[in-house]
Amino acid sequence: MASTQVAAKPEIDDAKNPAYLKIREVIYQVSGIYQPDEKLYLLASRCARRMAVLKTTSPAEYLEHLTVRGNRDTEMRLLLNEITIGETYMFRSPPQIEAMRNIILPQITKTKGAMGFKRLHVWSAGCSTGEEPYTLAMFLLEESAKQLAGWTFDILATDLNENSLTTAKTGVYGEYSLRSTSELLRKKYFKQFDDKRLQASDQLKSIIRFDRVNLSDDRKMTFCKGMDLILCCNVLIYFDLASKRRVMQHFHSNLLPGGYLFLGHAESLYQVDDRFHLVHFPGTIGYWKPPIGYNGGGKK
Amino acid sequence: MTTLDQIRPKIKSLESIPAVPAIVHPLISMLQLPSDKIDIEEVVKLVSYDAGIAAQCLRMSNSPLFGRRNTETVRSAVMALGLKRVQAILMGCCMNHIVPPGKWALPATTFWRHAMGCALVSRKLATLIGYPDPEKAYLAGLLHDLGILVNTIACTDEYRECFRLARENHVALDQVEAQILGLTHCQTGKVLAEQWRFSADIVEVVEFHHNASAAPTAKALVSLVYLSDLLCRLRELGYGYYESMGVDLTGDSCWTILVEHCPALANVDLARLTMDIDGAMEEIVGLVDAVFKGEAAASA
Repeated sequence: MASTQVAAKPEIDDAKNPAYLKIREVIYQVSGIYQPDEKLYLLASRCARRMAVLKTTSPAEYLEHLTVRGNRDTEMRLLLNEITIGETYMFRSPPQIEAMRNIILPQITKTKGAMGFKRLHVWSAGCSTGEEPYTLAMFLLEESAKQLAGWTFDILATDLNENSLTTAKTGVYGEYSLRSTSELLRKKYFKQFDDKRLQASDQLKSIIRFDRVNLSDDRKMTFCKGMDLILCCNVLIYFDLASKRRVMQHFHSNLLPGGYLFLGHAESLYQVDDRFHLVHFPGTIGYWKPPIGYNGGGKK
Repeated sequence: MTTLDQIRPKIKSLESIPAVPAIVHPLISMLQLPSDKIDIEEVVKLVSYDAGIAAQCLRMSNSPLFGRRNTETVRSAVMALGLKRVQAILMGCCMNHIVPPGKWALPATTFWRHAMGCALVSRKLATLIGYPDPEKAYLAGLLHDLGILVNTIACTDEYRECFRLARENHVALDQVEAQILGLTHCQTGKVLAEQWRFSADIVEVVEFHHNASAAPTAKALVSLVYLSDLLCRLRELGYGYYESMGVDLTGDSCWTILVEHCPALANVDLARLTMDIDGAMEEIVGLVDAVFKGEAAASA
């Protein structure tokens, strides 16, 4: 058996600066994004980019930019952008897809199927340039001959940014977005657009409805009801606590009982909402809206 | 079907393990004395006699998981680790030597990653929730799956079949054991734990870590290890295969039991704890592979 060596972390000494622990706490309090001790070097390298722009060399001084100086709100947003940059590509989180395939779909098809209600609604809230809804569409279409045989399904993909939505609707992607998409799925669900890019097929597009939705818009949020699954990755991090709570209230009411919400892999809902139950799946966590009358039970 | 009585003579034969270094027994006897009666210099001397154990102590005391202290001598390693951790290393050493090379039903490194992962998560959780003896939690986590080693030796071929079935069907090992062997690693582990005169609470952990509410006295410790065991199996520190389960830890009866003993558990940020486990995984894998390199090569 080959032994696994611990990867070298060139910036680990920088990350030992106690100011980074404080920066981590501030980020966690503001956004719910968390970096464990072993990943502090990543946080340090993200801060370093912002520090270079601000011409600051001391992490302690940069902490002031994030907390007490006049530019703190803007700086926090710019740092969060650095932290979440490059996070959108298709099949970004295989454990989420596996949890849907192996655990969530069997549960939903069992309970809804028993009622003869064979419809599945999925919402990608904050879909950005569309990688997430297209991933979900490929996953559901692949399951349509298996667990979802005889079912109808659709995906609502929303974002606030018009430009992102336009890109998403066009569905043209380069190698970066497709780097984790298998050759088989590329051939099945994409067509050649130019010599370097592929375009989502009409079949893929046909099950996605793109719409501009501001998650803070109570009126519009009220109309996204009946969801089985909501994915909202790295969106809530930009909201203050009160707004986050209001969005979670909407998500809770928009999900059907027994439905699940997934956030970004480093996001936490701690002290934001306690109506959802945190559920551990292999390699990922999700938030579950228990059915009425649920009183514990552990494993599912 | 195998009965416990059929396996008992095989377990009896594990009483004297020839491969266990001669210094282990006097060391363990000494470490079980009240702390004011332990002669540290004598412990250092005994550890120094065995190159393998001395190297393990040095590697662990230099690992970030144990505070990384740049220790270079056995004496400073023993002082840095503390006597309880030295005892845990020795117990691990006993366990490691009972399986002859080539007999492992699962790769040795997989077993040790889970054992070490569970030990570290148990200690971390214990510290977070104010459990009075985090080092006891560490030891309990390390030893909880002793019975897997017993079953590996007592019925190697059938046990390999158990692992194959568990892996192929993505189910928990103890379920397959009950169906194929007619007994589980919890039952056989208990026999060896008693034979090796483990303390009563550790014996309960070994016997009841899949059924914590049945533990007669050490309910809190057993529940703590049960929850840590589940967390490890859900974070790629399990038995090396995908266990298809979604777990609502806060809805589990063990959670309720542990909250009664350690009310701080109710306020634990589970998402953050999970991210900390993910962050520590690379270190755990690196440490286990470094410590058990020889054994892993022999079992491959």
